[in-house]
Amino acid sequence: MPDVQSLVNDFPDQLRKRKIEGSQATAKQTAELLRSVISQQRVPHTNQAGALIDAVRAVGEQLIAANPVELAVGNIVRRVLHIIREEDLSLATDAIAGLGLSAASDDEDDVERGDHPVLSAAAVAAAARSTLRPPSLQTLLEDIPDSGGVPQTSSSGGESEGKSRSADKGSRGRKLKHDVIEAVNELIREITDCHEEIAEQAVEHIHHNEVILTLGSSRTVLEFLCAAKEKKRSFRVFVAEGAPRYQGHLLAKDLAARGLQTTVITDSAVFAMISRVNMVIVGAHAVMANGGVVAPVGLNMVALAAQRHAVPFVVLAGSHKLCPLYPHNPEVLLNEMRSPSELLDFGEFSDCLDSASGNGSLHVVNPTFDYVPPKLVSLFITDTGGHNPSYMYRLIADYYSADDLVVKRRPTTGS
Amino acid sequence: MADTLQNPTSPNPKISAYYQTRAEHYGVVTSDWLAQAQAAVAQNPDDNGVSGTQVRVSDPDKPFSVIDEFNSWRKQPDLAEAVAAIRALAAVIRNSQATTMMELEIELKKASDSLKAPFRNCIDSWDTTSISLTAGCDLFMRYVTRTSALEYEDFNSGKSRLIERAEKFGEISYKARKVIAMLAQDFIFDGCTILVHGFSRVVFEVLKLAAQNKKLFRVFCTEGRPDRTGLRLSNELAKLDVPVRLLIDSAVAYSMDEVDMVLVGADGVVESGGIINMMGTYQIALVAHSMNKPVYVAAESYKFARLYPLDQKDLAPALRPIGFGVPIPSKVEVEKSARDYTPPQYLTLLFTDLGVLTPSVVSDELIQLYL
Repeated sequence: MPDVQSLVNDFPDQLRKRKIEGSQATAKQTAELLRSVISQQRVPHTNQAGALIDAVRAVGEQLIAANPVELAVGNIVRRVLHIIREEDLSLATDAIAGLGLSAASDDEDDVERGDHPVLSAAAVAAAARSTLRPPSLQTLLEDIPDSGGVPQTSSSGGESEGKSRSADKGSRGRKLKHDVIEAVNELIREITDCHEEIAEQAVEHIHHNEVILTLGSSRTVLEFLCAAKEKKRSFRVFVAEGAPRYQGHLLAKDLAARGLQTTVITDSAVFAMISRVNMVIVGAHAVMANGGVVAPVGLNMVALAAQRHAVPFVVLAGSHKLCPLYPHNPEVLLNEMRSPSELLDFGEFSDCLDSASGNGSLHVVNPTFDYVPPKLVSLFITDTGGHNPSYMYRLIADYYSADDLVVKRRPTTGS
Repeated sequence: MADTLQNPTSPNPKISAYYQTRAEHYGVVTSDWLAQAQAAVAQNPDDNGVSGTQVRVSDPDKPFSVIDEFNSWRKQPDLAEAVAAIRALAAVIRNSQATTMMELEIELKKASDSLKAPFRNCIDSWDTTSISLTAGCDLFMRYVTRTSALEYEDFNSGKSRLIERAEKFGEISYKARKVIAMLAQDFIFDGCTILVHGFSRVVFEVLKLAAQNKKLFRVFCTEGRPDRTGLRLSNELAKLDVPVRLLIDSAVAYSMDEVDMVLVGADGVVESGGIINMMGTYQIALVAHSMNKPVYVAAESYKFARLYPLDQKDLAPALRPIGFGVPIPSKVEVEKSARDYTPPQYLTLLFTDLGVLTPSVVSDELIQLYL
């Protein structure tokens, strides 16, 4: 059994040193780390969910602070927090339903529960979800402490839930933990499988004799294109090389190896070629709450070119890339500046790069990401299907609870 | 001084009472606006204190009228129109002789209809076109007919619960402003320039909180003709030591390149996700859109209304008096409409107490509630 504390110290370190990069890798590792944190966490008899939430949040803060640019880490932390809240609520509703059943079982919902105790979990979860949902017009008048008070009070909904029904269940702690770990496992599986889920939809989007353009390299895009190829679609792919990391070269190599007609072009040739292209398909680093995309550098240019020629701009993104923040938050506006050595050879340019000696003042800026505004995106393809950019908020409401978006940030700014 | 402030009070049935009350509360009427507004604000605090705590005692001799009730609530400067409507409906419940839920619902329906469309010949007729009034009535009616809490209770406790909720609604609306102000903080960054139009309590709350959080920003206020609500806002902001520049309404495009974001309130948010707001908002949104500046709307969720205007003239116009300083020949027509409709494609985001929303979410929320 690996020591959790050392893992918790180790992972942020790796994030900080950029040893682990890419949203899928970080998302998966975060989920695995949080799973071991949860399994090691001792749960008290009262307020079990609260204890778990606090533990996860404490670790999550460290992780997010280690590399705020890897938005997937924060997404997974929020997802896990949401899972804990949801499981706790569903257990609570189960308990209440059980009590109600023994008392009076004339309500049809209760009868159904009595007949299929396992199947009813879905119904209970649906009921619980309505409590977890962000405030809506419907609940505006109904419950003031829930709808209005939540953003201000520091004790979250989960904690007060835990306090109210405390002492009577001894085994519930283990049950809750078990359920949460089960759900986190499901989340990890989802992150691992998201490529296949997305690739399954490929035939619906790629047609015969089409020309597809992509930039840089993304495993999701690779699998997507290959899935269409396997279904006997014949099409051509233009790959923009994605300077300065030239990952497009790798993608082109992989595609050619799988028998796809592939053409490599320079990034600056995108506009020249776009009129021949039927569809642009790219991967993303993160999808923001307003439907904007944080993507590898150069994609904003591609999106603008696509818009100019009315070419659909399709973004593939697993649900772990869905970020509940708005890109106007200053912490999200952070872009990562990478080493100049990717652009220039140090040996050749060392003279003019050395500003201290006064010989030259050559500066190199090497940003990693672009922000593509939502109006340039035609379609998002996620593991749950194709969505409009303006629909992203809906997915976010499903995956995250409103408490975590705000609560998450407060400790980091306060401490 | 008091009568200059009360300048447009002469009851003219053709003039939208909503804007009349607004002008009374927020407008600066004489040219010596600074002194006046300061005097008015100096008066206001104790004024508010009295009206806020005052409990309306209904006269037992007089027959109860929902319209009177509403009128008395709306006179309070700090109370939103929708809150006044809901308070008035609560008074209907309190005075109701109904013994079943169905009766009560019918009574409420009548009352809310009469609020929404009072008799045409009534001298005291106010704005039948007020959107937040309609939205508030609809929301409360929906709550009464839909709430599951009432199903298993006996009638009287259900009734008192409804009244209690309605009384708390003022609190909800107040809290909503705080939530919105908090949500909007992330969007105001140091060194930004914000263009605002007219006077909106929510927008003021947002800017106030930002100033209290020691954000460094400056504000461009439009003048807000004809009731000059922008002057009032600039006065209030100057008191908070926020740098303010006052623009005449026609200088918006001229100043837009210095602006980082446009922040407006809303009279109502309609189903398309667009907003209905003080005249001039549409034009500002168009200018901002063409210069790629974000347009943010701060609005409480009870302003979401079930309307779908197709164009500017699709709504009954709310009229208000416009003074030009010189006599206008009788042959010259004057456009008196007080508000316009801004379609959703010109809006970037809405800050509401339900969270930060894109315009398309609005219809979703409305469908969830009313379907």
